[in-house]
Amino acid sequence: MDEEKILTEKESLALITSMINKAKCDYEETGISALLWGIIITFCSLISFSNNYWWDLSWVNYVWFLTLLAIVPQIIISIRESKRKKYKSYHDDAMGGIWISFGVGIMLLSFYTGVFHTNNDVTLYLILYGIPTFATGFARKFAPMIIGGIASWIFAVISMYIPFPFALLLSAATAQLAWFIPGLILRRRYLKLKNDNV
Amino acid sequence: MFKDLDPILHSQLRLAVMSLLISVKEAEFTFIREKTNASAGNISVQINKLKDAGYIDVVKQFKDNYPQTICKITPSGIKAFEEYVKNLQTYLSIKK
Repeated sequence: MDEEKILTEKESLALITSMINKAKCDYEETGISALLWGIIITFCSLISFSNNYWWDLSWVNYVWFLTLLAIVPQIIISIRESKRKKYKSYHDDAMGGIWISFGVGIMLLSFYTGVFHTNNDVTLYLILYGIPTFATGFARKFAPMIIGGIASWIFAVISMYIPFPFALLLSAATAQLAWFIPGLILRRRYLKLKNDNV
Repeated sequence: MFKDLDPILHSQLRLAVMSLLISVKEAEFTFIREKTNASAGNISVQINKLKDAGYIDVVKQFKDNYPQTICKITPSGIKAFEEYVKNLQTYLSIKK
């Protein structure tokens, strides 16, 4: 690029558009975190449903500890992505704050449901799942996550009126709509942009 | 009424740097170099001109024992960029 080349007005506008698109391409999410949590929560919900509906083995309910183990790859993914990034977007701090609050909220809710043994704690989790998902979709103008967040809340209402094990199926559906499907869309978009810019 | 385009911004590399910085909160020097495909020397000179004009802030620091230069657009840089785009649009609509 020539440092002192004087541009025509049309060239200037074309350059501005091209540079903004290049930056935009770089701050595209990789989708890995959303896929990870979509898979983990779906798996745990379905195993837990099968156990409560058919198997009735007390130790199988410990499957939810997988969510604690998944924090390790999540930390590795976050560190790698932050090292890869050579810029900070306007959304980064807000998104970080929202998802950290969600993590703390989930841990406190797990502690609460562990102490008080509520009958149908799935509703509380679904309400909580919807908050960061909707906020992320809204802030990034990403419709699949907005839909995922709203779906979480609709499923939360439905889960109040159905017996406990079936509410776990709604939890799996939420994980698919809120994280797995948006994660797939983000991943495809990221890989396409990456290939286009090679 | 058509206004003269800001000479600081009406140059290929400086406009490219400003367009990148308007899209992000802050960016490393290496990010700007990769996206503009310009040489480090050229970018350094243009970044200094933008800094002298008050359009960007430049912070030099160390990250993992390596020097790191962070660039960030200033409020007057944002204002100048917006004014520049507005003038471009006005000019193009007059030309039509």
